Amino acid sequence: MSTQVHANLTEAQVEQISDDLGEPEWLLETRKDALAALEELEMPDVIRTPGRTWTNLDALDYESLVDPLDYAQDKDRIDADGVEVLSWSEALDEHADLVEEHFGSVVDPQRDYLTALSTALFSAGTVVYVPEGVDAEDVKIRTTMNSQSLFNYTLVLAEESSSVTILERQGTGETTDADQYYSGIVEVVAEENAYVQYGALQNLSEETYNFQVKRGHADTYATVNWIDGNIGSRLTKSNVETRLLGDSSESQILGAFFGHEDQHFDIASRVWHEAEHTTADLVTRGVLDDDARSVYEGVQDVGREAWDTSSYQRENTLMLSDDSEADASPKLIINNHDTEASHSATVGQVDAEDMFYMTSRGVDPESAKNMLVEGFYVPVLEEVQVDELREDLDQLIYERLRE
Amino acid sequence: MSSDQDHLKETDTEKRFEFKKEEKSAFEAEKGLTEETIRVISEDKDEPEWMLERRLRALEQYKEMPMPDGWPGAPDLSEVDVDEIVPYIRPDIETRGGVDDWNDLPEEIQDTFDKLGIPEAEKNALSGVGAQYESEIVYQNMQERWEEKGVIFCDMDKAVQEHEDILKEYFMTKAVPPSDNKFAALHGAIWSGGSFVYVPEDTTVDMPVQAYFRMNSDGMGQFEHTLIIAEENSEVHYIEGCSAPKYSEFNLHSGGVEVFVKENAHVQYSTVQNWSKNTYNLNTKRAICEADGTMEWVSGSMGSKATMLYPSTVLKGPGATDNHITIAFAGEGQDIDTGAKVYHNAPETKSTIESKSISKDGGRTNYRGLVHIADGAEDSSTSVECDALMFDNESTSDTMPYMEIQESKVDVAHEATVGKIGDEDVFYLQSRGLDDDDAKQMIVAGFIEPITEELPIEYAVELNRLIELEMEGSLG
Repeated sequence: MSTQVHANLTEAQVEQISDDLGEPEWLLETRKDALAALEELEMPDVIRTPGRTWTNLDALDYESLVDPLDYAQDKDRIDADGVEVLSWSEALDEHADLVEEHFGSVVDPQRDYLTALSTALFSAGTVVYVPEGVDAEDVKIRTTMNSQSLFNYTLVLAEESSSVTILERQGTGETTDADQYYSGIVEVVAEENAYVQYGALQNLSEETYNFQVKRGHADTYATVNWIDGNIGSRLTKSNVETRLLGDSSESQILGAFFGHEDQHFDIASRVWHEAEHTTADLVTRGVLDDDARSVYEGVQDVGREAWDTSSYQRENTLMLSDDSEADASPKLIINNHDTEASHSATVGQVDAEDMFYMTSRGVDPESAKNMLVEGFYVPVLEEVQVDELREDLDQLIYERLRE
Repeated sequence: MSSDQDHLKETDTEKRFEFKKEEKSAFEAEKGLTEETIRVISEDKDEPEWMLERRLRALEQYKEMPMPDGWPGAPDLSEVDVDEIVPYIRPDIETRGGVDDWNDLPEEIQDTFDKLGIPEAEKNALSGVGAQYESEIVYQNMQERWEEKGVIFCDMDKAVQEHEDILKEYFMTKAVPPSDNKFAALHGAIWSGGSFVYVPEDTTVDMPVQAYFRMNSDGMGQFEHTLIIAEENSEVHYIEGCSAPKYSEFNLHSGGVEVFVKENAHVQYSTVQNWSKNTYNLNTKRAICEADGTMEWVSGSMGSKATMLYPSTVLKGPGATDNHITIAFAGEGQDIDTGAKVYHNAPETKSTIESKSISKDGGRTNYRGLVHIADGAEDSSTSVECDALMFDNESTSDTMPYMEIQESKVDVAHEATVGKIGDEDVFYLQSRGLDDDDAKQMIVAGFIEPITEELPIEYAVELNRLIELEMEGSLG
């Protein structure tokens, strides 16, 4: 545990962050508890097979990466009719009870070392409050990191029969040569019959180490859909998760990543079916070039009481270079037999026949390959309901292919 | 063939597997594992010094290694206390290395294997058979025409004496070193019995060679070692069958299997495992496959309380191929954690894994597999297919594949499905006049057909009978 950061963290720092945000006592206590728990907590689980750890989070030098009191950032929040899109201080002023009720109810603040670190040190973030019955259009949140380390916390509360789509973009402003650390927690509470689509587009600088937990709870008839687009960062460990807690709830987790140079993406999509007639669809597509590496873990967990479950998972990776590595582990855990579940995963290159077909039509090989890679993402892109997110993601893929 | 089938059909499978024999042995080691026990085993077998040294080194490794219990969803091994088992029992038989005439076997042992149907199978379809009772091979036979071609089929203890150079080179050095896992180390320390198969160049053994392992005593461990070497352009099919009656104490089976498939050789290794439901089956099996060689693993895992077994193949030479076909059936109280591992270490290597599992009455099946494609293994391809069938809501079925792909010019596909037995299928068969049980039986038989069609008829019939037995009267 010697590489971990808590040695240079103090309660005074946590108190100061809390004071800056004008927080109530209970939140300061939650932060202090998380800080104290760092002593005991382990790094987040990563896949290990005999003799091999697929992502080594322990190797990071958190002590030099994390500067608790430097949290310079730009934040844009664009709300939509009927939805309150609030900074933490605003949210704590206006909806103290709601925040206290739901904070940490979806993501355990002491889930693991890095989550607890985020809980103790988060300096900014957003609370999206969708009151009962509101149908909202696009909410947009843009976070630009201008500091060495940044801890972001987003809480989405969608009350009964409400709906909202949220687009969150994460980027880096002033780039320095020094390594940076970004950590983001997203909690989504979808009450009965609510609908939430949360799209994230991560394009942090390639000196940034990035840790994210995005997790939703879906009540009866509720839907929590995720889009997790990963383009930037040096190393990303991203967990996107839904617990289907109410009958007939649904979740879709779409993932897209594009790694080049020595980027490393460790992406997990997980869903727990815990009620009857629940449906999940997990789709991830990734492309790897140069020395890039991806680790994918997909978990479909069907609980004992989850009668009449439908659960599907597909993961496809394209490898454009011989030095890249694609590791995958799609897991099915089935405790109820009244289940229709399947998963599939493939790894391969751009299809030689497709290339031949395109080049025989006069397209030069480079353009042909680029078109095929763009086409590869289509099944994910076409599911994205937020136009801006789809277009941005498409654009970033386009640019990367032509770098 | 048909009379043989009839025989197996008429035989009451339950009686065939569940009977017990009065324990009667010539030598029984003390419970637990000490250097002393190992020296006794080694001395009793009159082993050369180097083998004793390997055993003692493996014992050291065993003591240092952790239990394989830190894995997600791994079976509970807390009951496995090696200090509580009897690691070595030499049955009461005069001839070391087994008799070569069936009628020379002591009556009780003869009777045991008769009930299992071994002699009939040998007469009809096998080129050789070895039978292991407790820790020792008690019967060994090889048809003369194979012997004349230089094919060797003998028990491992005899191989240590008579083929020392080959053993020194291959025994737990290249395929399954004791350092592989805790139970491989345990095996290296106290292994006993098992088979040695050697097939010379350009030789095709066109009838299966069989070994049958029977654990009869309470609270014992069986640790047989199998070493198969198929030289260039040779071909052999090896079958092992295993069984043990049920006792109150737990039994431990921790075998080691090493297969060497040389250039352009072809080895099929088939297992029908039906250990009693208090046996922990913690086996290590690995093949090393040279250029253009083919390794095939076919296995049916029926018995045991808990099984952890992932037959693995290292595709070492270009053009090597590995196929796995496995079926696991877990009933009440059983945890069958099994799968396949393939290492593609050379270009143009191919592998296919087809895994089927059935769980019912609270049983748990898990497919745990690893496909590793090394950097430089260009134009390799692998396809993994897992299907799970579940009968009820107390049962569990998990799929945990791991894929490590370090080479881009590859074709990797993994697919898995889980489902309950189709109501429509059952309805269709019922509407044709079958009752519920028979309909389900038929659906299961169809589900496992890809496995049974790879096995010689006796084994296919046996596997089907075992599954019938597991399902009898418990469908509803």
